[in-house]
Amino acid sequence: MAATDVHAEPATAPAGPAPKVRLKARVTGESRVMTWIWNSVALAFAAVMGFPIYWMIITTFKTNKDLIAKDPTFWPSSFSFDSYTTIFDDPGFLSGLQTTVLITLGSVLLGVAVGFLAAVAVARFNFRGRNFFIVTMLVIQMVPLLAIIIPLFLVMKSANLTGTILGVVLAYLVFTIPYVIWTLRSFIVNIPAELDEAAMVDGCTKWGAFFRIILPLTLPGLITTGVYSWIQAWNEFIVANTLLSGGGKQTSMIWLTFYSTTPTRGADYGAQMAGALMVSLPVIILFVLFQKKLSAGLTAGAVKG
Amino acid sequence: MSVTSNDTPVAAETPTGTPTGTAADAPADAPVDAPATTAVAVARPGRRRGFFAGGRYIPYVMILPAVVVLIGVMAYPLYSLFDLSFQNVNRYAQLVNPGLAQYIGLDGYTKVLGDGQFWNVVLRSVYFTAELVVLSMVLGMLFALLLNRVSKWAKVTVITVLMFVWAIPAIVTGTVFRWIFASKGGIVDYVAYLFGGSESVKSYDWFQDPVIGLYVVSAVVIIWGALPFLVIGLNAALTQVPPELMEAARLDGASTLQTFRHVVIPVIKPFLVITAALSFIWDFQVFAQIFALRNSAPEPGYWNIGIYLYEKGIVSSHYSSSSVISVAMILLMLAVLVFYIRQMVKIGAQD
Repeated sequence: MAATDVHAEPATAPAGPAPKVRLKARVTGESRVMTWIWNSVALAFAAVMGFPIYWMIITTFKTNKDLIAKDPTFWPSSFSFDSYTTIFDDPGFLSGLQTTVLITLGSVLLGVAVGFLAAVAVARFNFRGRNFFIVTMLVIQMVPLLAIIIPLFLVMKSANLTGTILGVVLAYLVFTIPYVIWTLRSFIVNIPAELDEAAMVDGCTKWGAFFRIILPLTLPGLITTGVYSWIQAWNEFIVANTLLSGGGKQTSMIWLTFYSTTPTRGADYGAQMAGALMVSLPVIILFVLFQKKLSAGLTAGAVKG
Repeated sequence: MSVTSNDTPVAAETPTGTPTGTAADAPADAPVDAPATTAVAVARPGRRRGFFAGGRYIPYVMILPAVVVLIGVMAYPLYSLFDLSFQNVNRYAQLVNPGLAQYIGLDGYTKVLGDGQFWNVVLRSVYFTAELVVLSMVLGMLFALLLNRVSKWAKVTVITVLMFVWAIPAIVTGTVFRWIFASKGGIVDYVAYLFGGSESVKSYDWFQDPVIGLYVVSAVVIIWGALPFLVIGLNAALTQVPPELMEAARLDGASTLQTFRHVVIPVIKPFLVITAALSFIWDFQVFAQIFALRNSAPEPGYWNIGIYLYEKGIVSSHYSSSSVISVAMILLMLAVLVFYIRQMVKIGAQD
């Protein structure tokens, strides 16, 4: 619908006398009225998309009376922070947050370090098996993690890693490493070999060239992949839930998912929304800070949602 | 053509900080890439240049950690997945006492494939995935086109909102929408009531009927989460279509629809293929949104292949049966994605 009308407008225009002006008008200036109509459609779209976030946030500030009222209100009659007190008083919240932070940090650092090494090898060397390695990285990204969850659980169990943070960190490397390799590879390929040659001619050692040339030039890529891996690890639910089951530990996402399963909390949507907001805040902040880099990186090689 | 593909929104961003950064924007990319490709090509054993000249074993040492980890958490589990699918480990006791487990050949497969529920789940997954991919791609394209038409401030507003939506974790999305669609105090019911529904509309239960709960509510939730990536990505791809091409088509008398079909679509096709494949991957294995939406216990009517796998394997300890389901899931996905892998390999071979 939008597609046809957008360009239908100029099609009726080309009756004017001056061809040069007409040409310009076609590209940019469709009629003002139509622009306003499309602007309002876009704003309506933004409002619909943004509403669930607004609703989550506004619910956290509602008083108990507002929450259990038969007719929901679009604006709280008075602001209350009770939902936040409930959440912060819950022993699972902070310990879940702690577990999530540890798992996330571990998988980001390990994943980027291991992936970076392999990416340099793939980008700078033409070794036997290189293409096989690259294609394998691509295919691995497509194997649904959910499909190997049971053998993964069994492997971790036989290695005594179920219920531990290390087990989950290792499992997350399945999706961070291939992504890091695939993305960093294109960064490193764009650094001409002449550059580190020149550095070595000028007296740099091999490692000097690595730390002074390759590393700084790949830094933007390292940040992109790091932030992306961070978000993936932070948001992951099913693997963590399976591998940590029975170990007494839980991540924030597990805590949030099961928070509402007890009858007393099931109807307390104020607390649930406060929990939901708190748990996603670190990701939202990262996302907004790095949005440009992320949207580019996501289209580049990301396969996991 | 494939040059545009890889570079649409990607390369425009990648070279930040590389010395070739300014020149590497989309149109000038081919010549910039050339020296890099030759550098790789030149790096034959014996004539290796730059950092790490000499030392045949070096690349193998560098990929070793990645290979070891991926064998441990991917290759070996995959092997034991197939191994498990030929056994009868369908109770927790058999798992802890491997002596009780037996190889039963293809019996596990005939059992699962003979189960009517399995085929229900597969069909439901296929329908649901098709609905999600088609709807999200079409809506994503329409709103991407819309963003090209609106004023700058409106575009910025929409993209800002979309960034926030994009940042919301899937589990949180499910939790929030469970509240939005709740039958007690849910805002959707209330708005429907305000728009002229009867009093009973206020307590309409969206999840009572799994068909509505899945194909309407869950679909809305999942598409809501998928649109930011699609709209922003497709819009970025659309801005790469050279305006001269559109001009030329119009001067030659092409209608809007014809221009879109014969100029815009071919130019952004590589990006369309990638986005469609990604949507398929995400939508086929969707789990978290439905799981959270149904309060961690989805009724059988909500089971897509991912949830079925979880219920069979993790919840009721049918490890071998769920391995068979996993194998089926992997095969189904790979069958669809073969063409996508080909495309990516082609792109990969270029740089």
